[in-house]
Amino acid sequence: MTLYVKQDSLIHEIDPITKVIYAFVAALLPYILPSHTVALIVLVISIMLLVVGKVFRKIIPLIGLSLFLIVSLVIIQGIFRPDNVTPLFHFGPIIFYKEGLSYGLLLMLRVINLLCAFGVLILTTKPDDLIQSFIQKGMSPRIGYVIGSVLQLIPQMSATIATIKDAQRSRGLETEGSLLVRIKAFLPLIGPVIMNSLISTRERSIALEVRGFNAKQKKTFLHEVHTYKYAKVIQAVLILIFIFAILWRIFL
Amino acid sequence: MNGIKVENISFSYTEGQPVLSNIDVHFRQESTAIIGQNGAGKTTFVKLLKGLLKPATGNIYVNGMNTQEYTVAQLAKQIGLVFQNPNDQIFKHTVIEEVMFGPKNIGQSTEEARQNSLLALEKIGIVHEADKNPYDLSLSDRKLVSIASILAMKPPIIIFDEPTMGQDYLGKERLKKIMKDLRAEGVLVLSIIHDMDFVAETFERTIVMNQGKIVLDGPTREVFSHEQLIRDVYLELPHATQLGKQLGLKQTFLTVDELINFNRKKQ
Ligand SMILES: Nc1ncnc2c1ncn2[C@@H]1O[C@H](COP(=O)(O)OP(=O)(O)O)[C@@H](O)[C@H]1O
Ligand SMILES: [Mg+2]
Repeated sequence: MTLYVKQDSLIHEIDPITKVIYAFVAALLPYILPSHTVALIVLVISIMLLVVGKVFRKIIPLIGLSLFLIVSLVIIQGIFRPDNVTPLFHFGPIIFYKEGLSYGLLLMLRVINLLCAFGVLILTTKPDDLIQSFIQKGMSPRIGYVIGSVLQLIPQMSATIATIKDAQRSRGLETEGSLLVRIKAFLPLIGPVIMNSLISTRERSIALEVRGFNAKQKKTFLHEVHTYKYAKVIQAVLILIFIFAILWRIFL
Repeated sequence: MNGIKVENISFSYTEGQPVLSNIDVHFRQESTAIIGQNGAGKTTFVKLLKGLLKPATGNIYVNGMNTQEYTVAQLAKQIGLVFQNPNDQIFKHTVIEEVMFGPKNIGQSTEEARQNSLLALEKIGIVHEADKNPYDLSLSDRKLVSIASILAMKPPIIIFDEPTMGQDYLGKERLKKIMKDLRAEGVLVLSIIHDMDFVAETFERTIVMNQGKIVLDGPTREVFSHEQLIRDVYLELPHATQLGKQLGLKQTFLTVDELINFNRKKQ
């Protein structure tokens, strides 16, 4: 019930750590090399990976959500950027400049690129696998647990809220309608939500403790995170590209 | 006009996976138990009766009101549902206020609501806890609070979803009495229930659900006479019924008392 989409694809086969490295390298490249071409190339690669992973359609609503931010970035830069000199066109008294629009476009490419790069990771990786990979690499299981529960929190909360809403509507509470009705309904709904999450938190921590969560021994893992044949090669290539980009930026 | 008329309804949560199909049934006054394996669709069915879910096809009339045409809150005066988990509703700081919440929502004055609530708590045997914080009570007592909070609304139809869960012998006896009293007052009582002895001792009519369909429906005694069918849907007979069978008796016994009286007469 997270953003993860279960599919049968090459991208799903790749191990989580490789995808994490990809996400960071792809997201950072357009900042290290601030040109439209670089941003565009990386973006196209991410989109291709999304298509291969059969999850391209899932990224569209995410981009849609950030569209407001993106559009306002372009507009504001187009009008107000300090080094604006070449007017391009105007709406009434408002003049859009070439330099600003160009920079706004770069920002836009970067944001969409960031979304797509992390989309490749998040849409094709089971959160449990991701967290387990980190724990195997030495991250504290406590932190892993915190991340895991945050990811589960939202779907779980919305399920609880639906049940609670049903229970209160059943006792004659109107939950739909005017703002006043909704405000009145807030307390009867939020009260049990908070109590329920406190209770389940306590119960979960007891359950974890009973099963030796804090044991000092070295732990084994129930599930084997699949290893990918070319993981090391891909990781090496990604890191090389990253280092080259930095060197390029510094020396050229 | 008191009653629920279910006209050939079907329902599914996700398309292509029907949870209920072609259910056609009428509830008039007999107290009715709804039994069936986990996942049979019992909770879904009572949520439809209560108007929380709307049927994909067919109609449900609660005291003549089509559930499709009214909000759940509007139907609340006609039909009460006690949920499985009391934690899903409790939000007030005292038991009495928690119980008064429903009655006030459906238009009872504060005084009226207080009286009905105290009466309901009295009936259910926890009136001495009226001023405690509900979360200081045990889960089984909290369950009783949630039952009282529906009783206090005095709807002519009351549905219970697994009311005996977590109750001890005394709690169950009290519930039995409450249901029988409600029945005597003319309230239509329906209950999802897993305790077959409780079913046999309390309800006039029993409905057996399996995989979203009603497979048996009739007077409780008759339903429990279909031994094989009951086994087929992974349920068991009440203990008194089993004992009667093992003693080689032909009749279907529902309670221990029946069995004892029968043996006395024979001797
Ligand atoms: N909110 C829901 N969303 C999707 N499926 C559900 C939901 N609630 C129940 N189901 C499914 O519907 C079926 C019937 O469930 P339910 O009515 O709770 O059965 P019962 O109360 O008899 O145990 C089950 O297969 C269950 O998984
Ligand atoms: Mg159920």
